Amino acid sequence: MTKTDVLHAVRLARLDLTLVGRNTTVLFNVMLMPLLLAALYSSFPTGDVAGVEGKVFVLTGVPGLMLAFAVFINLVNAFTSRREELVLKRLRGGQPSAVAVMAGSGLGALAVFLFQALLIGIWVNRFEDVLPVNVPLMVLAAVLGVAVFGLLAAAFSGMTPNAEMAQITVLPVLLVMMVAAPVAFPADALPGPLAVVSNLLPVTPIVEMMRTGFLGADHFGDGGEKLTMAGQWTAALPSIGILLVWVVIGALLARWLFRWEPRHG
Amino acid sequence: MIFPMRTRQLADATGTGTTGPEDVIEVGGLRQKYGDFEAVRGISFTVPRGEVFALLGTNGAGKTTTMEVLEGYAPATDGTVRVLGLDPIRQHRELRPRVGIMLQEGGFLGDLTVAETVDLWKGLSRDAGRPVTMSGSTELPGGFTLLGSRIRRVDRVTMGALELVGLEKKARVRVKQLSGGQKRRLDLALAVLAAPEVLFLDEPTTGMDPEARRTTWKVVEDLRDAGTTVLLTTHYLEEAERLADRLAIMHEGRIHTHGAVEEVVATSGDMIAFRLPGTSWTFGDLPVLDGVAPALTYASGGTEVGYTLSGSDAGTRAHAALRPLLAWADTRGETLERLAVRRGTLEDVFMRVVGEA
Repeated sequence: MTKTDVLHAVRLARLDLTLVGRNTTVLFNVMLMPLLLAALYSSFPTGDVAGVEGKVFVLTGVPGLMLAFAVFINLVNAFTSRREELVLKRLRGGQPSAVAVMAGSGLGALAVFLFQALLIGIWVNRFEDVLPVNVPLMVLAAVLGVAVFGLLAAAFSGMTPNAEMAQITVLPVLLVMMVAAPVAFPADALPGPLAVVSNLLPVTPIVEMMRTGFLGADHFGDGGEKLTMAGQWTAALPSIGILLVWVVIGALLARWLFRWEPRHG
Repeated sequence: MIFPMRTRQLADATGTGTTGPEDVIEVGGLRQKYGDFEAVRGISFTVPRGEVFALLGTNGAGKTTTMEVLEGYAPATDGTVRVLGLDPIRQHRELRPRVGIMLQEGGFLGDLTVAETVDLWKGLSRDAGRPVTMSGSTELPGGFTLLGSRIRRVDRVTMGALELVGLEKKARVRVKQLSGGQKRRLDLALAVLAAPEVLFLDEPTTGMDPEARRTTWKVVEDLRDAGTTVLLTTHYLEEAERLADRLAIMHEGRIHTHGAVEEVVATSGDMIAFRLPGTSWTFGDLPVLDGVAPALTYASGGTEVGYTLSGSDAGTRAHAALRPLLAWADTRGETLERLAVRRGTLEDVFMRVVGEA
């Protein structure tokens, strides 16, 4: 990626943020819906989970679920409608490279996601008096999460014929994330095979890395023991590995399925 | 010359591929297939620097497909394509800053304003705002000046591009609120923003009102005078006659006729045209004049009859052909309504190509 690519990506990311602010539907789905979801999840009356108060457990993991809205749904919609309106074609015919166009959308989505995660962080700090312990680990989780779901969004947009259909295309992924993501309970609390599947999904390592980074304790299972900074990174390695595998899978799927133009005929 | 041998061989087949040292666009034996459908069937042509070349044809003739291969949107199925000596696909990065593209439709974000759209594109173009020298030594309005801050200069470049296409009063309007013709003008502003060496215009004036069309023509003429090479597709024959130095008429993926505009029009020769009442007339009912059979079209309860007499002595032949025609009408007791002898037009050539093919 050249310096020009980086400049183009930043400009396109700014464009994406401008457009999110101008479209009420997108603004609601991408910005408000995840926060409402966080409020809903955290309102369930639960006791302590893995040694943490239930509300804190939910709120520190919910950013993983927010990726579905801020990145996946947002980008499937954006890629599909821009392909339909030939915006992607125009960009491809201009000076920005394909990498810059994709990176620009990813960067915009990352900014939206980080903003939401920041709001959750402030919320947890203000009302639950908990400060994040390992911010770099949380940021790494965010970057890898945006990369995985951004690439999956590119692939899914390739299977989506038009913007109306995008609402339906995203549903399976959204449902799987809502059911299997260990937001309200640890992944290991799921029954046998479902726990194995949940641990292999990209959303689980993101939720667990976020929670571990925030609370400074091992939340990659159902333990919750306090960890040193080095211990947190060591415990996160398998999750990072799973996410890197998903990045490769997402890149291959995007390369195979993503289209710059509507199909001819 | 990038591929002289190849082009010369193809030139024999199509007659359009003679290369020169200043050829900016070179197409040799281009074929383009989508599945089983062959949209372009082996065409060749070259466009020298500073020339406006028009591709004419009916819908589905292969014009836009040809254009898109040259723009680097799709690799050619077969044949050779070069723009400024570069391969549009493999040398994409080097080529993009040097070409301007006006798409046939769309490509805008409706929620951006007109000025924001130009601003965005300017931010994504290396040479955006570089002065474009126009005829009469004017510059792209709002181009480089020494006035004010960087922000002011940026604003001037954006406004300058909009003034060029007459959209300055729409600067704060969202793109989704523009008419079809205004969107075409915005597209033109984006295409010329970086002062391209080569400009691809795909049906540039579709949907424009007559005034906007003339403004667009003026922009294209000024760019041509400044040395920009223009490849243009259009359905408007008047536009091609006004703007193009040379043209090619495509039909069903092939180039059927080509050359300088005057040469192409001259091939249509002279035409004897009249109208007969009723729609029951057939070829057999009408005389053959100087070895030429009539062309018939039926409209509004009548039959339009036309004889095209080509060749350098077309005028003399038309004069001579009138006598037997009038004799035939006298014998049959028919009146030749709106009888006229006129020079052929580009439309006549176009209709002949489309009809014959």
